[in-house]
Amino acid sequence: MKLLYTDVLIIGGGLAGLRTAIGVKRRGLDPLILSLVPPKRSHSVAAQGGMQASLGNCAKSEGDNEDIHFADTVRGSDWGCDQLVARMFTHMAPKAVRELAAWGVPWSRVRAGVHEAVIHGERVRIQALEGAQGLITARDFGGTKKWRTCYTADGTGHAMLYTLGDRAVAESIPVHDRREALALIHEGERCQGAIVRNLMTGELSAYLARATVIATGGYGHLYAVSTNAIINEGLGQAIALETGVAQLGNLEAVQFHPTAIVPAGILVTEGCRGDGGVLRDVDGYRFMPDYEPEKAELASRDVVSRRMVEHMRKGKGVKGRFGEHLWLDITVLGRAHIEKHLREVKEICQYFLGIDPAVDYIPVRPTQHYSMGGIRTDYRGESPTLRGLFACGEAACWDLHGFNRLGGNSVAETVVSGMLVSEYVADFCTSPEGDIQLSSALAREFLQREQAKLSRLLAATGEENPVALRQQMEHIMMERVGLFRNGAELQTAVDELRILLQRAENLGLRSRQPAANPELVLAYRLPKMLKIALGVALGALARTESRGAHFREDYPERNDRDWLKRTLYRWPESGEPQLDYEPLDVKQMELPPGFRGYGTKNIVEHPDTKARQAEVAQAQQRAPDRFALQEQLMPFRHLLPERYRKPNERLHEPLP
Amino acid sequence: MNRTLRFQIFRHHPLDPQSQPRLETYRLEESPGMTLFIALNLIRAEQAPDLNFDFVCRAGVCGSCAMLINGRPGLACRTLTASLPETITLLPLPNFELIADLSVNTGKWMRALSERLETWVHLNEEPDIDRLEAPMDADLAEQIYELDRCIECGCCLAACGTAQMRKDFVGAVGIHKIARFRADPRDCRDDAAYYEVIGDEDGVFGCMSLLGCQDFCPKNLSLQTQIAFIRRKLARQGWKKT
Amino acid sequence: MKPLIASPWSARFDLLQSLSGLFLALFMWLHMAFVSSILWGEKAFWTVARFFEGYFFFGRSLPWLVSLFVACIAALIAVHALLALRKFPASWQQYRAFWEHRQRLAHLDTNLWPLQVATGFLMFFLASVHLYDLFIAPEQIGPYGSADLVWTGRTWPLLLLLLFCVEVHGLIGLYRLALKWGWPSFGDPQRTRRILRRLLWVLLVFFLAMGLLTLGTFISLGIEHAPRAGEPYVPSGMQEAL
Ligand SMILES: Cc1cc2nc3c(=O)[nH]c(=O)nc-3n(C[C@H](O)[C@H](O)[C@H](O)COP(=O)(O)OP(=O)(O)OC[C@H]3O[C@@H](n4cnc5c(N)ncnc54)[C@H](O)[C@@H]3O)c2cc1C
Ligand code: HEM
Ligand code: SF4
Ligand code: SF4
Ligand code: FES
Repeated sequence: MKLLYTDVLIIGGGLAGLRTAIGVKRRGLDPLILSLVPPKRSHSVAAQGGMQASLGNCAKSEGDNEDIHFADTVRGSDWGCDQLVARMFTHMAPKAVRELAAWGVPWSRVRAGVHEAVIHGERVRIQALEGAQGLITARDFGGTKKWRTCYTADGTGHAMLYTLGDRAVAESIPVHDRREALALIHEGERCQGAIVRNLMTGELSAYLARATVIATGGYGHLYAVSTNAIINEGLGQAIALETGVAQLGNLEAVQFHPTAIVPAGILVTEGCRGDGGVLRDVDGYRFMPDYEPEKAELASRDVVSRRMVEHMRKGKGVKGRFGEHLWLDITVLGRAHIEKHLREVKEICQYFLGIDPAVDYIPVRPTQHYSMGGIRTDYRGESPTLRGLFACGEAACWDLHGFNRLGGNSVAETVVSGMLVSEYVADFCTSPEGDIQLSSALAREFLQREQAKLSRLLAATGEENPVALRQQMEHIMMERVGLFRNGAELQTAVDELRILLQRAENLGLRSRQPAANPELVLAYRLPKMLKIALGVALGALARTESRGAHFREDYPERNDRDWLKRTLYRWPESGEPQLDYEPLDVKQMELPPGFRGYGTKNIVEHPDTKARQAEVAQAQQRAPDRFALQEQLMPFRHLLPERYRKPNERLHEPLP
Repeated sequence: MNRTLRFQIFRHHPLDPQSQPRLETYRLEESPGMTLFIALNLIRAEQAPDLNFDFVCRAGVCGSCAMLINGRPGLACRTLTASLPETITLLPLPNFELIADLSVNTGKWMRALSERLETWVHLNEEPDIDRLEAPMDADLAEQIYELDRCIECGCCLAACGTAQMRKDFVGAVGIHKIARFRADPRDCRDDAAYYEVIGDEDGVFGCMSLLGCQDFCPKNLSLQTQIAFIRRKLARQGWKKT
Repeated sequence: MKPLIASPWSARFDLLQSLSGLFLALFMWLHMAFVSSILWGEKAFWTVARFFEGYFFFGRSLPWLVSLFVACIAALIAVHALLALRKFPASWQQYRAFWEHRQRLAHLDTNLWPLQVATGFLMFFLASVHLYDLFIAPEQIGPYGSADLVWTGRTWPLLLLLLFCVEVHGLIGLYRLALKWGWPSFGDPQRTRRILRRLLWVLLVFFLAMGLLTLGTFISLGIEHAPRAGEPYVPSGMQEAL
């Protein structure tokens, strides 16, 4: 049996995990990264479109600042997010982009002079800002008032991940890849590391750490078709849940992206629409302006996705071999633009569809894309119930995104949360609480437990086939816990998932190989995935309203009165899964609930909303400048690590 | 009529003392739009539950799934079976440590490469991130991105005759990475420093210009041009040095 | 991977190998021009041969000049071959690894390399013999002397083989030189390669044709001259002067 000690164990080598590790290392502690795959192969690499940060460098982002980014984010979340976190985030995003710029990300830059762009399907000419030449430029993304999404052609995630991956090597951060965290080691309410399986040799080890950070990404592949990498199976959330102590937040908040190709489910970036591409129906008609006169294709993702399905339900979908779809038309952008800025899109079309997007329309349909829910943490990234357990990136419900994430806010979140959480983790480790005696006896106990589970599985001769069970789960999630939801379907989903969970106790394996063995891997992951899937279904069933990406046909209104609260999912060690709720306090909100400006306006108001709106309006009149106003409405700076408190410089807001 | 494909797949589990390297045959009905990703998963689901292979993004961007497809390296996830004959032989990439079956440890190799070539921007000083970022010419940024597109899939090594003979050869991927950092003004290293890491027979001077790399790089990177460029620069550097 | 200690000699050896190869290849073009002068008649060849003996500078033949020149070429070949030796498969494993790779990949440029190695290896012997012949009897070079050496001296099989080796080796070498150093280039790399390849084939055909014609001419001359083998050629109008 192997025991390893480190200061901070970071589970996940995507953007969030890497940036956290770098931050921890720079604070003089020893981090260690675990990952299922080499870090640079993490799902983050697939992000194409870009990263939001209010730099305000390009003509169409003139005047942008944290306040506007904040408001966009809160509206995007359908007021489901934690506004304090959104504030910290929008303040940090420019710093994150600039740090990455210095470390090597080749962000696309502003060109001087006049250049052409496509807006609403039409060519327009744009004059660059004075003095902006060579600064980081931005493109348009859904749900934003300004062009704010920084990008490197359409390989943003790749460029960011490689830069951070290389940085981690530069700082000699150890990475143990092809390792899977199977369980968290914890004593009561204190987390002490994880039990880890080597996916190559099958060997189990205990990694003991003063603090553990989960940065394992989302749970998209609970669905049969998802834009996510196939390793995004909700494993990090599951091991947190299985402690019985940690809580998961808002699992039902699952985003569907409007444009994944049919049938493979591979994403074509929102940048396609941001750069001027449009959606068309079976008649070649551009239908989005009819539904969303103002933002058209660039309303938030939940809205565009629903409008698309709505339109298909009117019989306007294109009937194909793999079901119905619509068309994404980027031919208007011209070949030169596509080959330079949307090359990954071109390659995807070429290899997976055999078409040329410069002349052909792309068949698309809304597809599972992002997990807003995850391990519930406070603004410091720590689980409020399991001390020493932190989470960040898509794995967490830090709650930046509420019920809908804006495009470009996720890779930004990964890096920003990595920057912040690493500081809080380091603070924690150097505090008396972080200074604990790690228990090897405890580690042994957990290790034996996990070993016993695996041995049982390797000898299992039950009649259930793990592949079949998994397919059923994926099918249930697709059919009953999808874009449009209703009580009856969700109830069926919950019942069926519970049955699957029981059946998963009676697996039979055909292979007895203890080392690299995909069948064994699936077998032990299956119950974990089912528990998360059940959490999604239970949360969705209980939430009798529609908010952001969660849409109930039987409760189409957003009900602030009863549902302005966060779902908390917990599975005590002996017993049944539980749902609890954590209210969002309207009286503390900098931006009180209102209409998003796109989508359907159908809101049951919270009793405190009016009063808070009035307060805010009053403050707006009195405040001398935006900083003072902000400070008065919802102070947040004191919560930031000291090194990150300074304001951000902009062309129009120079620092002294 | 759909074809019935005949897959000959390399099977071996180095950690299992009983295992012998062998080719096993599986038959599969082809379906429209079938990729090797789909095919291998079907084979695993229905015929060989313990068959090891690596896919992550299944969209041709993460570099996990490179293998020898009928002898030639390529990304399995974006290879349509329709582009292949009825008999499809799949072998793991050579050059890399075999984990099992089609799965090889490219990650370990690439990390070692990164440490050896120091493939990161060597900073003069930490940036002040509260201030405006340092400007960069838009064309230069694009050029660096172009050089940054390598996905570390290992196809270039598998396609390289030199790399088959010399286990320590950095391959096109290594030389190309140096070209990427050399083009980047933020990296403060000079040619003498680059010479230190690839100015030898296991580096750029080991390349014999067989151009397998150029022809099989799934990202179509301009490896030929970049290798020649780095060779010229470092040859000059080596010539000057006394 | 092992730690590196960069020596400037890696660069210099690489440059020297290329320069020696380039020089030899270009010299072989000239060489072809000289020997094929036989196609213009015996007088033409005689003139060329005397030219190299300094006849037109010093007014008399100094055959040791030719010996000296032959020695230089031999030395250059030796240097080139020694440098090239670094690239030969160093062990049976390496050889096997390359051979299997070559078979799997079915890739033209990769196949050209063993061809170059093999022809280079053969030339090591063939060229030695040829150069030795010239070195010890430089005065023999002339329309009849050479023809006698070719036919009566039974060197024509060697020369035939050498011809193929030199042309194949040298032209592949030049092609690879262009790719290796990135010059000349014609727009994008793919296009450059296409053009260079076409050039390679055209030149190969041209030089082989020239070589075969020349050798054929010497052979027929040799057969004709066999009864009087050993008698040198004396151009008309020079009889008295001798
Ligand atoms: C196709 C696509 C395009 C996108 N484009 C954009 C975009 O343009 N802009 C944007 O803002 N967002 C985008 N997103 C979202 C964004 O990419 C992700 O949310 C983000 O990259 C998640 O990063 P992460 O670090 O949290 O997790 P990931 O990158 O998913 O990394 C998870 C890591 O955890 C490891 N891991 C998981 N489980 C375990 C375990 N049990 N043990 C050990 N290790 C484990 C994995 O190996 C991996 O290293 C996109 C998403 C998709 C699917
Ligand atoms: C006895 C002799 C020779 C041997 C053993 C030999 C061997 C080789 C080998 C093995 C290579 C390949 C090196 C590599 O891949 O980097 C090579 C390259 C080359 N050879 Fe030769 N060769 C010989 C003679 C010649 C002659 C006579 C010529 C002229 C026609 C010539 C021209 C070249 C050229 C132009 C190259 C390319 C150089 C480079 O890649 O840098 N060689 N030689
Ligand atoms: S250079 Fe090309 S083939 Fe080589 S690792 Fe990079 S992407 Fe793959
Ligand atoms: S040019 Fe040839 S030898 Fe050089 S790296 Fe590419 S494949 Fe290898
Ligand atoms: S699975 Fe990512 S490149 Fe093939």
